[in-house]
Amino acid sequence: MPGVDFLIAGLVSVFVGLDRTAVLQVMVSRPIVAAPLTGLLLGEPAVGLQVGALVELLWLGRLPVGAAIPPDDTQVAVGATALAIVFQGPLGLTGLAPSVLCTLVALPLGRIGQAFDRWARTRNGELLKRALDSLDAGQLEAAEKSHLLGLSHFALASLATYLVIIGAGSAVLLLFGSPLLQLVDPAKGWLWMVFPLVGTAVILGTINVSRSLTLFGASFTSAFLMLWLL
Amino acid sequence: MAPSKLPAAILLRVLLRSFILQASWNFERLQSLGTLYVLAPALRFYYREEELALAYRRHLEYFNTHPFMASAVLGTALALEEKRSRGEKTYLEVKEFKGMIMAPYAAMGDALFWGGIRPLAAGIALFFAVKGSLWAPVAFLLLFNLPHLVFRVAGLFGGYRLGLKVVELIQARRLPDLAIRCKEGTVVLLGCFCAYLAFISLHGEGVRAAWGLAVIPAVVLVGWLVRKGVSTLLLVLSIAGMILLAVQLNQHLPAWVGGDWLKF
Repeated sequence: MPGVDFLIAGLVSVFVGLDRTAVLQVMVSRPIVAAPLTGLLLGEPAVGLQVGALVELLWLGRLPVGAAIPPDDTQVAVGATALAIVFQGPLGLTGLAPSVLCTLVALPLGRIGQAFDRWARTRNGELLKRALDSLDAGQLEAAEKSHLLGLSHFALASLATYLVIIGAGSAVLLLFGSPLLQLVDPAKGWLWMVFPLVGTAVILGTINVSRSLTLFGASFTSAFLMLWLL
Repeated sequence: MAPSKLPAAILLRVLLRSFILQASWNFERLQSLGTLYVLAPALRFYYREEELALAYRRHLEYFNTHPFMASAVLGTALALEEKRSRGEKTYLEVKEFKGMIMAPYAAMGDALFWGGIRPLAAGIALFFAVKGSLWAPVAFLLLFNLPHLVFRVAGLFGGYRLGLKVVELIQARRLPDLAIRCKEGTVVLLGCFCAYLAFISLHGEGVRAAWGLAVIPAVVLVGWLVRKGVSTLLLVLSIAGMILLAVQLNQHLPAWVGGDWLKF
């Protein structure tokens, strides 16, 4: 049932969303983990693996340094996986094409996540004021506990991003799913290659290694020639 | 009576709390409220009443560093608080120490963990993912978290045990050099990964393998556009659009125009 699938994926979205900044940061929030986890819980781990591989490198170079907030690739991965699993039946196609299509639909919506993340951090500023007021009132324990309320802001931000991706993504797929899939299906092999290649280019453009082009060119050429000759 | 060493149970609570250091991350003072939350069990052990309130205020000052490097800073802060509670003098106050060390540690942590180990682990995991193996997320989590968790746990205990000397210890580890090695390893790995991906994709599409070598200038061009500030999203969507258009044209044009020129 789509409702149950979306609900399970929603719970995953909150859990992995918290890992992005607020809790643990053991990187279950990375698309290569979050998407297969969603797929596994929805009974289609292969779909999650495909989505995770497509999304993983794209925004990996955008570092959460200082006040910088990268686009929410975690929710893109969870949302695209849920959409692909739920819609692959009604759209009449399995395999790579629904994963690629749903990732393409979900990707632009990941930018929305930055706004929700900013909202969570702004609301957390109020917690700081609250803690300072509690200290003025001599309530030390209350000051300390204000910190934990920040978890609810981050959880809400993750859930909101997920809901936007699922809501808008479902609308697009319901309205234009079949024609879009007919467009994507014959190109799925090329698109499957392009996503990680663009991600690699983005990393090369931002990684700040002096000999990056030489190293990349040498390793690519030697590996490619070896595969070709063997 | 001056407090003795922190009991292991309190140190363990501090360690567990350090995993939610950023729960209240905000634009005003970044990790400050989190710092107070992490250190609170130890501060309650060292101080009472007015002294405790002052200690709480001390740690609500602006603070921001890399979340994994924060363990070492907070461990050292505990050692300094312990000395202060005993009335011992240190050549750096806890506030000064945190202020001095947070920016360089943040830079080191960002370069090593976000810029070095994470892309390297992702690159290795992607080989598994492309092969359709569910070992991909497992490999990623293991490769990333082994150094991460060791650093977090050893950082807190080491900082607490060594005090200010932990700075020398971390310096001796030459983390910036390690970060550069990780980044170089990532570039080499991604080169091999792209070669493998291009090879199997072209083979799957029935295109001559020699066209795979065109991937290098294409990747360099996209990398250059990224450096020029073109957004990743725009690049992905526009390249995907061009591919969709090219495939449609190839399907609908007569064979002698669009057909098999890639395949000879």
